[in-house]
Amino acid sequence: MSQAAAPVPFVEAQREAALPVSGIAWLDAARRDNLDAFLAAGLPDTRVEAFKYTALRALGQRRYAVGDAAAATLAIDAAALALPGVDGPRLVFVNGVLRADLSSLDALPAGLSLQPLSQALATDAEPLRFALARAYREAGDAFVQLNAAFAAEGVVLRVAAGAQIEVPVHLCFVGAASEGDAMWHLRQVIELGEGASLSLAEHHLGHGEHAHLGTVVTDISLGERAKLQHVILQSAAEASTLVRRTGVQLRAGAHATLHALELGGALSRHELQADVAGDGARLETRGAFVLHGRQHADTQMLVRHTARNSSSEALWRGVADGRARGVFRGAIYVAPGADGTDASLSNKNLLLSANAEIDTKPELEIHADEVKAAHGATVGQLDPRALFYLRSRGIPEAQARAMLTAAFCRAVLDDLPNEALREHLSDLVARHLPQA
Amino acid sequence: MSSEHTETTAPVENAEVIEALGRRYAAGFVTDIETDYLPPGLNEDIVRALSARKGEPEWMTEWRLKAYRHWLTMPTPDWAKLNVPAVDYQAISYYAAPKQAPKSLDEVDPKLLETYEKLGVPLHERAKLAGVAVDAVFDSVSVGTTFRKELAAAGVIFCSISEAIREYPELVQQYLGSVVPVGDNYFAALNSAVFSDGSFVFVPKGVRCPMELSTYFRINAMNTGQFERTLIICEDDAHVSYLEGCTAPQRDENQLHAAVVELVALERATIKYSTVQNWYPGDENGVGGIYNFVTKRGDCRGHDSKISWTQVETGSAITWKYPSCVLRGDRSVGEFYSVALTHHHQQADTGTKMIHLGRDTKSKIVSKGISAGKSSNSYRGLVKVEKGAENARNYTQCDSLLIGKQCGAHTFPYMEVKNPSAIVEHEATTSKISDDQLFYCRARGIGEEDAVSMIVDGFCKQVFRELPMEFAVEAKKLLEVSLEGAVG
Repeated sequence: MSQAAAPVPFVEAQREAALPVSGIAWLDAARRDNLDAFLAAGLPDTRVEAFKYTALRALGQRRYAVGDAAAATLAIDAAALALPGVDGPRLVFVNGVLRADLSSLDALPAGLSLQPLSQALATDAEPLRFALARAYREAGDAFVQLNAAFAAEGVVLRVAAGAQIEVPVHLCFVGAASEGDAMWHLRQVIELGEGASLSLAEHHLGHGEHAHLGTVVTDISLGERAKLQHVILQSAAEASTLVRRTGVQLRAGAHATLHALELGGALSRHELQADVAGDGARLETRGAFVLHGRQHADTQMLVRHTARNSSSEALWRGVADGRARGVFRGAIYVAPGADGTDASLSNKNLLLSANAEIDTKPELEIHADEVKAAHGATVGQLDPRALFYLRSRGIPEAQARAMLTAAFCRAVLDDLPNEALREHLSDLVARHLPQA
Repeated sequence: MSSEHTETTAPVENAEVIEALGRRYAAGFVTDIETDYLPPGLNEDIVRALSARKGEPEWMTEWRLKAYRHWLTMPTPDWAKLNVPAVDYQAISYYAAPKQAPKSLDEVDPKLLETYEKLGVPLHERAKLAGVAVDAVFDSVSVGTTFRKELAAAGVIFCSISEAIREYPELVQQYLGSVVPVGDNYFAALNSAVFSDGSFVFVPKGVRCPMELSTYFRINAMNTGQFERTLIICEDDAHVSYLEGCTAPQRDENQLHAAVVELVALERATIKYSTVQNWYPGDENGVGGIYNFVTKRGDCRGHDSKISWTQVETGSAITWKYPSCVLRGDRSVGEFYSVALTHHHQQADTGTKMIHLGRDTKSKIVSKGISAGKSSNSYRGLVKVEKGAENARNYTQCDSLLIGKQCGAHTFPYMEVKNPSAIVEHEATTSKISDDQLFYCRARGIGEEDAVSMIVDGFCKQVFRELPMEFAVEAKKLLEVSLEGAVG
């Protein structure tokens, strides 16, 4: 499981970095505890199953300044943050620092509470204890341990029971060029009360060229019959590293839909862990990565069904060009007694270049018998018949390829109800693909 | 009994004498007596003594020692979804005549006999399968000898690996360990150090082996013990079909089986390897049973070669087995058809690896897992397409059938693709026998158990089709027997 701490600069840098002090005993203890766990285990190597296809050797050789003092005043154009179709309240963080000047928290709809983590801790820390006092001990938890140790800022979002929040909330995480390479950590706690509904856009973007390391750990819990529409757009700076862990918990009758687009970053990793823990709960996940150059994207999804008659459906696509490497793990776990579970997963990938690589691992772990579970995964190229069809109608090959590749990715956005956002994301994907 | 058979079969005849010999020579390791015991334990002296006992040349002894030294440096693998109790490697005797064999069928577990009855195993074979020490010559002995003559006429070498090491050292030296290197994995390394016997098949250029080869018919391969080593070589344009194991459960008290099978297919050669594994699975409470830790790998070394694995796995308490194909030659083909059934407390973690290296290589995987009782059944597979494997094609289908509430069925496929012209597809489903299907059968007057075995048979059809006919029939019966008590 854990190996002896490797004397790598990255780990040494964490040893020297000062932990944030909150004055809250349980929180400071948890930070210390998670840092110790990280230092003891070090960065995982590829023998750790969760990092089998994501080598951290290069990252381990680097050093990052903890936080970025200049981030509070960096000039960022607020217009560049805008997302079509997402015009509700907005919280903006630049290199991990809250930017009130770019955020807009006035006129929150009734039933929505949206606070920076620092403020929530200062006013009433106790409700956050369950989320923030956790000890992470799994072999693949390195970045989460770091986050738990160092994250002092983030988002606390709560929707009161029964509240229907119509306007989409915009959470913006900007990695911005500054002096040297910085490391920043943000923590989000999102809670939807019974019967509440929320639409959320999580937006990671880059501002100027930099090679920062960012981590974001998010805990989402949905009360009974709550509904969540969660869109993640990751277009971080080309040279940056971004590691996220999103935990979603669904109670009875809850329904969560997640759309994730991974477009940016030199190394980006998303660990999505969903607990479908209530009877009749439903989880839909859709996502795509579109990679080129030397990008490396790794999505690790685990869906656990522990209640009766719950369902999950996953649709993931990947495109890798240049020397890029795309990694996908999609695991479905059905606990003993979780009868009536209906779980499916589809993962399709396109390899566009001789130097790109796709590694995919769909998994099923089934411990109940009244279950329907299926998964499928493919790696291949565009359908030659579809190409031929387009060419026979006078469309040049390059353009035909671009059209088909864009359509291949767009499948994951088809059921996104926010039309303006859907069009914008489709455009982004099309622009991100090799040009016709 | 012909002289080449003496090595492994002689001791069966007189267990007491052997025991006495074993005691007498236990300390010295200098005896040249062909069959007796080595004391339990594992160290370099034991490996040397074992090699000496078998009259092996120096290079073979060194090869074993190299494997042993490497084994010492390796950790026990723990990545499989198995709960493996620690094995005490020092408590095992690495060169042993068969354990005290029952003297007549009366001493054999009646349950075992009942199973033979159901499978319709001929009476005289039952005793042999049950490991009864008999020196009567069964039909199969004479059959075995006739086969040998016919094979020799065709130019096919089919003998025990010990014999091959003595008679055809240049062939063995060239190929042994070339597919599964001594340090490949923990159990392969252990096997390389201490393998006791096994089969050797060599089919020369252009020869189509005139019959299906089987360990079943080769008497001297019986009781080869825990560490079997099989090496099959097919030269250019040659063809062989090899059957391993037998369809009836074998009485075997050995706790650990760590076998290695290596296949080499040269230009346009075809090797078809079928296994029906039904080692003792332990009782319904999970007590006893064989740990089956097997490394099987085929190397499609030549262009247009083909290796096909078919396995029906119903036995063993724990199965850890991944028959693989290295598709090195251009246009080479790898296939894997598997039915794995677990019941009671059995655990199986089995699957395949298809490594595409050559151009236009193809692989196909069909895996059917059936879990019943409190068992755990996992498919674990790897499809790897390397950079040079232009136009590689893989299709994988893994289906799991659950019978009962307390069993588990798992699928862990790995796909690693580095070539943009490759097409790799994987599909998996998990379900139970549907009530509709059962109702349909019941409504037509078919009893519940029969209905279940019919449905299971249909579920496995794709794999059974690949088995030689008589094996397919027995495999079907075997599933029925293994599933007894799973329903209702």
